[in-house]
Amino acid sequence: MTNTKRAASAILSTLLGIAVVGAVGITLHTLSADALRGKLVATKSADTITVDGKNYPKASVTMGVYPDRATAVEHGSKPTKKDYVQYGPSNHVVLPAHTYVTMTLHVYDSGDKLNNPYFGKVVGTIGGTINIDGVDVSSVAPDAVQHTFTLHGLPTSSQDPLFVNVPLPHVEVNDKDEFIPTKDPGTNNKGHTVVFSFLTGGKGEYVFNCEYPCGDGTYANFGAAMGAYGYMSGKVTVA
Amino acid sequence: MTTLSQQVSNRPIPNPKKSLITRLNMGTGLIVGIAFALATYYSMQTTLDDATLNFQRNNQVLLATMFMWSIGFLVGIGAFIGPFRWLIGKDLTAEEQLYLAGDGQGIKRYFKYCTDHKVVGIQYLWGVIAMLAVGGSMAMMIRTQLAQPGAKFITPSIYNSLVGLHGITMIVAMIIVATGPFGNFIMPIMIGAADMAFPRLNALSWWVLFTAIPVLCSAWFLGGIPTGWTAYAPLSVQAGPGMNAFIATIIIFAVSTAVAGANITATVISMRAKGMTWNRVPIFVIGATISVALAVPAFPTFMVAMIQTAMDRTFLTGFFDSNVGGSGWLYAHLFWIMGHPEVYVILLPGVAILMEIVPVFVRKPLFSYTAAVVGFAGIAGLSVLVWAHHMYMSGWLPMLNGPFMVTTEMISIPTGLIFLVILGTLWNGKPWLKVPMLGVYAFLWNMLIGGITGLYLSDVPADNYLHGSMYVTAHFHYTLMGAALTGAVAGLSYWYPKMTGRMLNERAGYISFWFVQIGFQILYLGMFIAGAEGQPRRVSDYAQMYANSNRISTFGAYLIGTGFIVLLWAVIHSWRNGVIAPMNPWGAKTLEWTVPYPVPLVNFDTPPVVTSDPYGYGKAVK
Amino acid sequence: MSDHNDVHLEPTPGERFSKFLKRGDIRETLAWAAFYTAVFVVLGAYFYPKWMPTVMSTDMKAIERLMVVFTFISAPVCGFVMSIFTQTLRHRHKGDTPPPDGPMIRNNRLGVAVFSGVASLLTLTAVIYGLIELNSSAEAATKDAPNALVVEVTGNQWVWSFNYPSLGVESNMLNLPIDRPVIFRITSADVNHSFWPVQLGVKADANHLATTLAQTTPTKLGTIDVKCAELCGLYHAYMETSGEVMTVSDFNNWVTAQGGHSA
Repeated sequence: MTNTKRAASAILSTLLGIAVVGAVGITLHTLSADALRGKLVATKSADTITVDGKNYPKASVTMGVYPDRATAVEHGSKPTKKDYVQYGPSNHVVLPAHTYVTMTLHVYDSGDKLNNPYFGKVVGTIGGTINIDGVDVSSVAPDAVQHTFTLHGLPTSSQDPLFVNVPLPHVEVNDKDEFIPTKDPGTNNKGHTVVFSFLTGGKGEYVFNCEYPCGDGTYANFGAAMGAYGYMSGKVTVA
Repeated sequence: MTTLSQQVSNRPIPNPKKSLITRLNMGTGLIVGIAFALATYYSMQTTLDDATLNFQRNNQVLLATMFMWSIGFLVGIGAFIGPFRWLIGKDLTAEEQLYLAGDGQGIKRYFKYCTDHKVVGIQYLWGVIAMLAVGGSMAMMIRTQLAQPGAKFITPSIYNSLVGLHGITMIVAMIIVATGPFGNFIMPIMIGAADMAFPRLNALSWWVLFTAIPVLCSAWFLGGIPTGWTAYAPLSVQAGPGMNAFIATIIIFAVSTAVAGANITATVISMRAKGMTWNRVPIFVIGATISVALAVPAFPTFMVAMIQTAMDRTFLTGFFDSNVGGSGWLYAHLFWIMGHPEVYVILLPGVAILMEIVPVFVRKPLFSYTAAVVGFAGIAGLSVLVWAHHMYMSGWLPMLNGPFMVTTEMISIPTGLIFLVILGTLWNGKPWLKVPMLGVYAFLWNMLIGGITGLYLSDVPADNYLHGSMYVTAHFHYTLMGAALTGAVAGLSYWYPKMTGRMLNERAGYISFWFVQIGFQILYLGMFIAGAEGQPRRVSDYAQMYANSNRISTFGAYLIGTGFIVLLWAVIHSWRNGVIAPMNPWGAKTLEWTVPYPVPLVNFDTPPVVTSDPYGYGKAVK
Repeated sequence: MSDHNDVHLEPTPGERFSKFLKRGDIRETLAWAAFYTAVFVVLGAYFYPKWMPTVMSTDMKAIERLMVVFTFISAPVCGFVMSIFTQTLRHRHKGDTPPPDGPMIRNNRLGVAVFSGVASLLTLTAVIYGLIELNSSAEAATKDAPNALVVEVTGNQWVWSFNYPSLGVESNMLNLPIDRPVIFRITSADVNHSFWPVQLGVKADANHLATTLAQTTPTKLGTIDVKCAELCGLYHAYMETSGEVMTVSDFNNWVTAQGGHSA
């Protein structure tokens, strides 16, 4: 074998190796892109509102928490992820920067006790309150919570801090299935509607997750849906 | 030994139709293994009652399936034929034993339950290469994710799985990287033995390990693992179905390690050539034996911890659940009682390879053989007394932090002896900088950095800051990769001529070496800085302030990746096209260089007699 | 030792030592050793103070000092290793055949003894220094305990929360008054976490149903990054928050704004 041929073989094989690793990377990246089921972009409105002497444009977004039988993917053996409860329609929420965001959550789940009662308090909303079916409250009893919407992010120089904790009151029913809606939030009126507002800062990437232990009997009930990305967790982009 | 060599000279031809043994191979293993697994899976799915919690029942089914796959594969490849014959009061015939040794079966013997230690060595070598390739690719993915803040590449759950699976793949690969290929292929020849003490156990250790590989891979398809390779409870108890794959892998691997460790130890104790007294044993054999002997008591604690985790997950036993009286600290203890000896299980054979290489390439005797042995033994002895330095911050009995700090820092004394032996051998020599010898220099620098950073980490107040940060990650990569893997790669280029009959392409060896080592320094310099700045380890995203140091690290990682691909090319290319190697290309004096390639089935035509240690280089000093 | 007229006079240890020092190879090695020791001393003096974050507590100060001192302690070892590293590389053998045989030095008991002795002494220094620091931090903790501010830290998958029981305040931020000792009582609502307020030089694991104590005194105003240093599942990376070391009046204002009562 000549030197040239050997060198060519070495270089081509190395490039091939890099290409194989690259292909694995692209595959993983593609899988990751699907994990949150698209984007949910907040609707901007023409109105503005004044908070603490400053003018903010308004935007609104509507989400729900429901065991999503319509979009869930069968996974592994029994128990299928079909039974996992999740935020939706997407777990990637896009909000405008420096805006007064009003979020409406339609929630249909039963619930119980929080691992940490702190998350029964409302934190980070306008006025420190949330509106549950027309009533303003500043906290929900820590043993009557179904889920929480807890929005946070890395404290970093490249973005403004944003922390919101909204406890969602449980639905008092024995037969949970009665309240499992279709894919579209808002079509079932037996649950609660929770409305709250908060101010976004500059651009940034944040995450949200649920602090109610809804993980199917696993340790601290934080396994299953809680530990799987894109069910009770997701991300929030302020753009 | 005599019986086997007589049989070789007589050459009875095994009748292929006579015995079941001749029909079994990896293919039958796969068929029976998959059949066992499917049968277990479906029968349990239908018979388990619905009353148990979903995740519990799922864990039971998956774990049982994985273990039955492993057992089925071993049945199918014929691992239990010998024990079964004993049960009915017989043994394998001489022809069958010879058949099992793979005599005259060419490439097919690599896919069979082959008892020849040289075949097992090559099987281990390719197993290790595959694992390092997979683990390395995962490292590339991890570094790609960390190239910039914002988690733009993969999701946190894929990232966490990558971190855990990279960890465990690399740890398993590194445990066997030296004692697998070289401990099996080279070491018996080095001590003048015809084979290992228990050839069938030798084959068993490899094929048991082999069954763990698909189990570990299945973790990907079961949702991954969120726990890192340390699998701390209670997080591991909470984790999804992928965790079962991790648990099963560790339990299977622990069996393999125990078998291999007992076998290598027994071989070195009982099979040395005539005249090879303990002070004439090559230092690689000493290092490898101390390493596997240390693994034999260490691994069972990890296995027990994994069995307990499995029971917590399947039967809610609550060993590690503080709600019902268990304790996460119990897990941490069991894990680190294995975990810290384990890093020395990885390190010692790599260092011992380098000690074997230095005298050959500087043409000087090994400096202070006694210090080397004392160094190895001292490290091994102390390593079982230091585990709780991983738990300084855990809240478990802070009063004992002081004593554990003392034992940990004492390890630097025997480690110093290891350095002294290598430096003393180098001293005033004229090193011949072939590819294996470059590894010695890389080791000196990397282990120096790894050792000193280890000193900070062993100190309780400093660990208050460094524990759980990227600094720790950089530190142990310096020791495990910079020192132990460098030693193993040096060993591969050193023994390659004996294992393949050809020389490893030298230019590719140099190119790979410089890519890997330069990339390595860049990667971990960046990571030391990120750690000093306060970036926690195992994070899928980080604050803007760590962006520069992480970008540097990712660049270094890509260099390493490229370097190893070049090495992989060299290994494959030279295997077929390399320059034909002379019997003793480096002019070494250990016994493996006295046998031709291909190495005869029983290694030596006449059993060698040893009259001195293998380091008789050099001119007498006035 | 025979009488002074003996022509084959054995050199005294002192003479042997000075002759030893005059050897070319020894001088070269010593020069490299001195060079590398100096490099590592400089590296130690600059690396950690440059990269480690702002020192905001007594403990963090001790940690940074300790890192620098440990580098100094290990610098001679680095010097020794790197000197022989460099010396032998400079005399490397070139060519495709093995080098000529070197001197047959199989052992040097004095050398091994001196090396082991020095290595043990350096290790001992490090151990003693570390134990002294450990002890002084423990003593300070005991002394400061009575007037310390107690903060109950709870790790939750994947958010920290802080409770100031004496002030009636709960928060997701860790705000502290300057120059007042603080005791962290750390626990977890679920799996293991590790509480790490970076600039304070404190780290302690959060275990479920157990309380871990950590203590320090903030000495500088500024922002604290609070991180989790123990892999705790999906959003481990995002289990971070921040806080501030404030003047006493600012802190009291914050407490009042949170609906608490100042102490």
